[in-house]
Amino acid sequence: MIQVDLSKCTGCKKCEVACAFFHTGKISNRLARIKVLNLYELGIDGPVVCVQCQEKYCMVCPVDALTLGPLGQVIVSPTVCTLCEACEKACPIGAIEMFDDIVYVCDLCGGKPKCVEACTEEAITFVRGGKGGPSLASFQKETKKMSPSQKRQYYVEKQGTKLRQKWSRKHA
Amino acid sequence: MLRFGYGGRILRVDLTKRRFRIESLDPSWIKPVIGGRAANTKRLFEELNPDCDPLGPDNVLIFGVGPLTGSLLTASAYFTVTAKSPLTGILGDSAAGGQFAAEMKHTGFDQIIITGNADNLLYLLITDSGVEFVDCPEYAGRTIVETTSAIRTKKRDHSIQVAAIGPAGENQVLFAAIVSSGNRVNGRTGMGAVMGSKNLKAVAVRGSRPVELADPLAFLSEIQKIDKDILTHKEYKKRYKMGTTMLMKDLNSIGILPTRHFQEGVCDYVDEISGQKLAAAFKVKNKSCFNCNVHCSRYYVTDENEAEGPEFETLCSFTSRIGNQSLPFALEMNAYLNQMGMDSISTSEVIGWIMECQERGLIHPDDLDGLSMTWGERDKIRLVVDMIAFRRGIGNELANGTKRLSERFSEEAQKLVMHVKGLDVICGDPRGIKAYGLTYAVASRGADHLRAEPYFELTNRKEEAKMRFGTEKAADRLAEEGKAALVSYSEKIALLTDSLTMCKNIGLCMDILNFESASSLLEAGTGLEYSPKYLEKILENAINLDHKFNRRFGVRTEDDTLPERFQKEPLKRGPTKGSTVDIKKMVEEYYKIHEWED
Repeated sequence: MIQVDLSKCTGCKKCEVACAFFHTGKISNRLARIKVLNLYELGIDGPVVCVQCQEKYCMVCPVDALTLGPLGQVIVSPTVCTLCEACEKACPIGAIEMFDDIVYVCDLCGGKPKCVEACTEEAITFVRGGKGGPSLASFQKETKKMSPSQKRQYYVEKQGTKLRQKWSRKHA
Repeated sequence: MLRFGYGGRILRVDLTKRRFRIESLDPSWIKPVIGGRAANTKRLFEELNPDCDPLGPDNVLIFGVGPLTGSLLTASAYFTVTAKSPLTGILGDSAAGGQFAAEMKHTGFDQIIITGNADNLLYLLITDSGVEFVDCPEYAGRTIVETTSAIRTKKRDHSIQVAAIGPAGENQVLFAAIVSSGNRVNGRTGMGAVMGSKNLKAVAVRGSRPVELADPLAFLSEIQKIDKDILTHKEYKKRYKMGTTMLMKDLNSIGILPTRHFQEGVCDYVDEISGQKLAAAFKVKNKSCFNCNVHCSRYYVTDENEAEGPEFETLCSFTSRIGNQSLPFALEMNAYLNQMGMDSISTSEVIGWIMECQERGLIHPDDLDGLSMTWGERDKIRLVVDMIAFRRGIGNELANGTKRLSERFSEEAQKLVMHVKGLDVICGDPRGIKAYGLTYAVASRGADHLRAEPYFELTNRKEEAKMRFGTEKAADRLAEEGKAALVSYSEKIALLTDSLTMCKNIGLCMDILNFESASSLLEAGTGLEYSPKYLEKILENAINLDHKFNRRFGVRTEDDTLPERFQKEPLKRGPTKGSTVDIKKMVEEYYKIHEWED
């Protein structure tokens, strides 16, 4: 899975650019499976990408178009998918989103994530194996009615709170 | 049909009628100007009545990006805003990095051309399909960050990028800025006032049209070379740590750090206000523009405030230039100016000029509604900045800029205004950097370094200087010789970076961009033919157009000069002691190279 260290993220979006470019040959954050937010009111920047949550909320897919790969990544079958948006609605942090009739979610680039290679700051790292990601149960309750973008904002803001406490301690 | 690189469309917005029109961008129109700043200038030249009131509905406000903006190109994060300047009355424009440009590019519009004025405060939400006109009288008086958050929350999309004005723009302070990405500033020439005059609080963009490259693999291999050059560059670490604030000590060490309004070039307390001090005491992390790997911007937190920045210009403008010794105070001013939306250089010039004139007894407090200020007097500075932003009391007059303000005072006081063509001089004493001096004098938007940024002058590469500019002296900062040739080259690369678009710190100061590399990038990016020779030629044409344009506004050869202080008054101490600028000689040589008759 991909781990994020918000304290190191500068908001440059090189991860987003690399993701879109190496998957599609084009550049746009709509085509990226990792999406960076710049929260100017907090000074926080951070990417949101599938965290391989304990609950696997996206697996609600009514037609079983989603499966888990050997690295724990979500694999979407475009031929089975009916574009019902159930997975997008279910993800509590906006890490899975549809655009132009395609479901965008991190596939770990088969084990060599391009976003991680692109990051010069070690703000994102790839961790192989392990027990999978965190629980997102608390987010699921809070973000039910939000758009994917709002969910991402909420997630990064919450993660950023701890970082901001650290910053203010530096100047206490 | 433009398929690669370019968005291929322009958007025309009439604020009076609240209508918009989408047009396709004609390849034969855009190719000879590339995009970005050069394309904006051409558009303004073709569509502006030069006699129009810059704060009236006829002024044409143009947001422009280039063929490689928001692409795989490193630091392709810049957009330029162009209009007739209300501060100077001539060609006005200002660029900014951050995240706005890439998002604008992804709407598929290479240019947004705004005319008319709205009857009510509004903002534009621009997406692939066009414009939504959103009334927002409740946003009046809001800061940049407040405005950005409000728009994002209302539209339920936090990837929206916003370029807004603050109270200063709404109040049409003539040097008001446009600010995007929270703290990224189109600072110079008063573009924020133009927005304010049009009742336009913000331009918000959210796109979904991807940038496609003609030859993605060829482009990628160019980028890999560029990235390697950047990451192994000898200035990389320093820039990463401090960004442009590294210049505080660098400029001080060669005696050109503006101190007490250019009376001195050496600041004794530089260690207290340096980039090093800022990084050690207040920086909490690096910040970056779109797709950049230098991450030279910084976020800071003090006991009282927090913000991104400051860049060197703001830091110097609010420390040594006005005699302030407190770094936290400068950081407070950076945050405040950004959120009010006001150019730090022009604001500092008003303050510094008053301080010097009062010290010399040239201006009595009674002449300024009782205002008296001495060097570094923080409470007064804070008060004056606030009065300017809201045009309160004497602030209403100060908000028109130093040159206009000076007109009711003595000739001696007028001579102390550090400006060229009405635009206040940036932080860098030209007596010790002659090519910069020439740049300030001839820059088509007035006293400014970014039109050429002849950083080469400071790199001490003598042999290369001889080869490229005909004399070793081109690399000698105190010499006038060879500087016209250096500036004539650098201004083309500066225009190239502004037009692709890319960051100038990387493209120019770090010497990453030249005609050859730009040719490869443009051809792989757009699929159009851009040979190095052709590029050089069209950039020359674009610079000639700037010149011709300003002649239309009434600029004359004698306006291409420097304030008398730099020509006649040598610095009294430090490594630039004794030096003055022979500007006439350099300007003549520069005109000769350009084959300009007048």
